[in-house]
Amino acid sequence: MIRILLRYLVLFSLTFLTLSALSFSLVYLFPTEPVTTLTGITPQNLVQHEALVTQYHLDDSYLVQFAHYLGDLFNGNWGVSLFSGEPLLDEIMLALPATIELSAYAMSIVLVVGIPLGCYSGLKAYTGSDYTINSVSVVVNSVPVVWLAVIFILTFSLQFGWLPLSGRINLLFDIPSQTGFLFIDILLTDNIDTARALKDAFLHLILPTLAIAFISTAALVRITRRSVIDVLNQPYIIAARAKGLSSRQIFFRHVLRNALLPALPLLAMQITTLITNAMIVETLFSWPGIGSWLIQAIYQRDYSALRMGMLAVSTLVVMITIAIDLFNRLIDPSREKYESVTI
Amino acid sequence: MSRFSLYDDEAHPSPWQQTWQAFKSSHIALVGLALLMLFVFFAFFAPLVTPYDPNSQNTEALLIPPSWAANGSITHLFGTDALGRDLFSRIMYGCRVTFGTSLLVVIIAMLIGVTIGTIAGMLSGVRSSVMNHLLDALMAIPTLLIAIIIVGILGSGLVNSMWAITLALIPQFIHHTRSFVRSEMKKDYIQSSTLDGANYLQVFYYSILPNMIEMLVVQGALALSVAILDISALGFLNLGAQAPLPELGAILAAGLDAGYLAPWNIALPGITIFLMVLSITIVGDGLRSALRKRVNR
Repeated sequence: MIRILLRYLVLFSLTFLTLSALSFSLVYLFPTEPVTTLTGITPQNLVQHEALVTQYHLDDSYLVQFAHYLGDLFNGNWGVSLFSGEPLLDEIMLALPATIELSAYAMSIVLVVGIPLGCYSGLKAYTGSDYTINSVSVVVNSVPVVWLAVIFILTFSLQFGWLPLSGRINLLFDIPSQTGFLFIDILLTDNIDTARALKDAFLHLILPTLAIAFISTAALVRITRRSVIDVLNQPYIIAARAKGLSSRQIFFRHVLRNALLPALPLLAMQITTLITNAMIVETLFSWPGIGSWLIQAIYQRDYSALRMGMLAVSTLVVMITIAIDLFNRLIDPSREKYESVTI
Repeated sequence: MSRFSLYDDEAHPSPWQQTWQAFKSSHIALVGLALLMLFVFFAFFAPLVTPYDPNSQNTEALLIPPSWAANGSITHLFGTDALGRDLFSRIMYGCRVTFGTSLLVVIIAMLIGVTIGTIAGMLSGVRSSVMNHLLDALMAIPTLLIAIIIVGILGSGLVNSMWAITLALIPQFIHHTRSFVRSEMKKDYIQSSTLDGANYLQVFYYSILPNMIEMLVVQGALALSVAILDISALGFLNLGAQAPLPELGAILAAGLDAGYLAPWNIALPGITIFLMVLSITIVGDGLRSALRKRVNR
């Protein structure tokens, strides 16, 4: 147990080291001066240039520089944005929760809809309802997320005017950001109409969440279905049936647990797709999350923001993936490390 | 003329023929294959079949509705866009750009991934374990993020976005090849050819590769659909293909400007990407289940 935890801790630190090395190498790879990418400040004169170079140890060897870079990372001294001049730490801490919020709601929809549908379809394998569910999920899985979001905007916002077009909440509500998670912030804010603010925030949430959740749900349905069918063909299911268990007991005691375990690693891979989709959808819905922030940064060639944004997002995603992997190992240590189902 | 035959069959079908037999039995898969062939045809012969130059602008014919609409005309089958360019020709060239580059990207990623994966699978010990874990973790980085970084370094453009997507696809191929080679290396037939004196290269070429092709085809189909979605998403965000180049995502983004006036400019490129990905998914699924049937037989 402790060995496993230790191994994953080492794995995480190694990966983080690789990622920060990558983000450090961006300082030299981006087509501006290293000083500018590293600090976000364009030196106005030679004196300032010299001062910055000595402050960030840019004239030392690369290893010394990297050590100082890591030190700065942990001290929260992430440099400022080239474009807005704000400290990057503050900007990322403002944008990241919005993305996490959006992805978390989308993920919960995916889980709540995807797993039951997949199980149902797997249990009724090769019947009419299974074929229907499976073909619908194949079709939905092929829809490009950009197009889906545009269609949503055109029909529900512009054509019918049911749902708001962009943003997280109507600008009339003045919600100071405390945690970054909007619903908690609304509850924490005093002098506003809490019920109306909640309703408004909810209406803003529907379209982007659905646009992200649609595609990943389809993928999860297919993963769960395949996994359930595989488990149903195992000898221990026949044994359970011979023992006289009802199909309900078989399902909850044997099928569900054994089917979801190998599906977990694939779910972890789906998280990557989900976050990519979230980044695209954010841009379309002007959701003030890390995705639209990064895409703004690339449009403005804001190199210092790109460097930190890349590190923050990839660390977050890798952390989630490793956590799921660890969880999978802990609940079933006997399983081979790389065993997982195909769709 | 009767011929002596020990078995009932006229001839033994080769493994590929068996796969084709199993694949053929599914009608949906055949429809998917026909659709895919259509896109392949467009990708190769777009210049021969398009009625107009995809970039020639015609100010006389702005935003003409598609031919099936009440006030559309048959001279422009899918209508025209806000600059008077023929949408049908643009979409056909778009298939060429989007489908062709995705195919290229997948082939490059496959070659690199399989090479590294095989080496990693034949090695063993701590080093390969560390490498594998590290790769698994890096596989989790979103494609869009890698693409943004590459665009930041090299600048935007179709070729740069191709590099980005190649980089993002390689880890998957490495992962699958590696676990396949690992499980295969433990089997007896590999051991017997090793005992015959085959070196690593010969074992790979004569024993492992023929068994791996099926896995590669299925993984390749999966990667191809991912590549198409990514290339068009990058084109849409204006990070990939640049303005006049007819790339499906870029056409979609351009259609957005006049989207409320001319919804077919959004609908048609989107449907094309959708059908492309759908046909690849269906063919990939059909192949997978055909292979499963063949192995189980």
